[in-house]
Amino acid sequence: MIQETTPGQRRRDSRPAEIVRPRSGFSLPKPVRRLQRQAPLYAMQGLSELAARLRQVTGREVIDLNRVMEFVQFMYKQQELARRGPNYTVDEFGFDPQWTESFLAAFMVLYRDYWRVETTGIENVPATGRALLVSNHAGVLPWDGTMIKTAVFAEHPHPRHVRALVASLFMGMPVMSWFLRRTGQTVGHPDDTRRLLERGELVLVFPEGVRGTGKNFKDRYRLRRFGRGGFVSTAIRSRAPIIPISVVGSEEIYPMVGDLGPVARFFGLPYFPITPFWPWLGPLGMIPLPSKWRIQFHPPIHVEENPPEAADDHNLVMALADDVRDTIQQGIYDNLKLRRGVFL
Amino acid sequence: MIPAGPNRVLVTGVSNPLGAEVARRLAPQVPFLFGCDIADPVSALEEMDFVHADTRHAVIGKLVRQLHIDTVVHLAVMVDSPHDERSIHETDVIGTMNLVVGCAAPDSSVRRLIVKSSQAIYDAGAGDPSFLSEDMTNSERRAPSVTRDLLDMEQLINEFSLRNEGCRVTVLRLGYRVSEDTTLGRYLSLPIVPTFAGFDPRLQLLHEDDAAEAIVRAVMGAHPGVFNVAGDGVVLLSQAISIMGGRAAPILLPYGKWAARLALRALTRVDVQGHLADVLAYGSVMDCSRLEAEFGWKPPYSSRAVIDALARGKDVEVIEAPSPPQEYELQVYLQRRRREARNALRTGPILEAPR
Repeated sequence: MIQETTPGQRRRDSRPAEIVRPRSGFSLPKPVRRLQRQAPLYAMQGLSELAARLRQVTGREVIDLNRVMEFVQFMYKQQELARRGPNYTVDEFGFDPQWTESFLAAFMVLYRDYWRVETTGIENVPATGRALLVSNHAGVLPWDGTMIKTAVFAEHPHPRHVRALVASLFMGMPVMSWFLRRTGQTVGHPDDTRRLLERGELVLVFPEGVRGTGKNFKDRYRLRRFGRGGFVSTAIRSRAPIIPISVVGSEEIYPMVGDLGPVARFFGLPYFPITPFWPWLGPLGMIPLPSKWRIQFHPPIHVEENPPEAADDHNLVMALADDVRDTIQQGIYDNLKLRRGVFL
Repeated sequence: MIPAGPNRVLVTGVSNPLGAEVARRLAPQVPFLFGCDIADPVSALEEMDFVHADTRHAVIGKLVRQLHIDTVVHLAVMVDSPHDERSIHETDVIGTMNLVVGCAAPDSSVRRLIVKSSQAIYDAGAGDPSFLSEDMTNSERRAPSVTRDLLDMEQLINEFSLRNEGCRVTVLRLGYRVSEDTTLGRYLSLPIVPTFAGFDPRLQLLHEDDAAEAIVRAVMGAHPGVFNVAGDGVVLLSQAISIMGGRAAPILLPYGKWAARLALRALTRVDVQGHLADVLAYGSVMDCSRLEAEFGWKPPYSSRAVIDALARGKDVEVIEAPSPPQEYELQVYLQRRRREARNALRTGPILEAPR
């Protein structure tokens, strides 16, 4: 409630306006500074005129102004983030939503233009409340996680952040630990899963783990063992439905034809992949191939209808885990049939 | 007959700043207050009887028995100190052992034991869950020495509480504190702060006032058990550094912590202990819900507020401790006056007009 004050009070409490001295030191001349400020605007005007001319001449869209605007917005968002200084808050897991959303444009380019992801069944993801998303895991680097996150944030009528669980190994890696924590990921520990679900978050889990990402190209689209079904017990205990997800296309981004075990052990990695391009081409070999992706969100499996004691019933837990696995495997076969070719 | 509240209270380690603050807060609340330490107290307290005693010798047990102590507040536990590993081990493990032996005599009058422990007991690692709760303990073989000492100490306390049903034992695992005399505080106050390249850990902090308040509440109320005590929320290391007005320099390599510690000591003269180096790489956050449920209280300073308070207090001068109490009071009064004058100056309308 705003407290009412009388004009007299306001006059008494008022302070004269502060006159702050401009920062000392070198500064560019005023016209140059004005030009600096207005240059982006002039550039945009020029570009839009150019686009209009080209459209007149060629009869089709040569420069897509929407894309250009997205890029400009991305740059401005980054500037805004830099300007906020330490005045932001992260949640207890170290998640910074504003920072994460600023990268959406970059991931959208991958999602829409590079891998041309087709998402179906997004309506199965609840708009509010907790749910455990379970997906297959493939590709040498976990790009499938970023694409599922992008799909839910970009395609869902009620954009939500998905919080993925990652192997503790990544939390010990230099840049990874910082980036993953900041974008809302956390360690794959049952305690963390429970806490996130209790806060009503969407939690993404890959029960295959590194066994899934590190599998050979000839084993593509064959699901590995789904852990020990720990994700089912956690879901039952936290009263959260399980939403299986089938991702098709992630297997072809890095066709892994070999694994150098000793090198991996030396670097403390779970596997050291050999692909037709890595490590022969150096950093260029890390560029993923532009395969065609499909992501299907299946209808939820309501494991929360079981009583909490069921979480300790190994038979039931393993049966439910198998159900989830079969749903995902079937979804993969269906989507493979729907795809016209690997790169189409 | 068990008295309702604490009657004769002994505070070990009263000469460290936290002990002094706890004694100052306890003095008006308990009938008899005794303090012991090996160094003289910072400021004299009239209500407290001070005894020169070393917890590392058996004399502490004699003291407890002779004075008919019923509540022991054990604060002579070194976690963040410039001493070497051996003397920290002596103080934490041998000192606690002596104290526990003193309290465990068959006709002992001790009914309550409050022990200060630390978040350092958990250490920090990449595989840790995001929140550490009281039941989790670090079982890693290569834990830093302080972590091992604290684990030994809590083991002794645990054995004591199992054998002596009549004595209620409270262990408070205090979060990391930042002030001028803690390593973390000095580290964060550096103008250029070397950090681990590619790591931005979450820090959970505890204000000095809240630490003292938690101990006083544990003394005055009866809450047996182990409790995590730390502020709400987290603050990222990079965020903390920029609040403090410093600049982060990601130059330390996360492989081989000893090399990083050596580099830090050479570059900044801040000796970061092993457990603290792990925290600066991986972060460590405790789950304090048990404290809130049992004490009905949680530290009012959030982690963010703690670092804000440190940043604000950066220009507050530290009072050199003169022994007579009235001298100390005078100094505090003068300092407050000066600060008020300075604040009035800062908010007032006196600013240079541009030429």
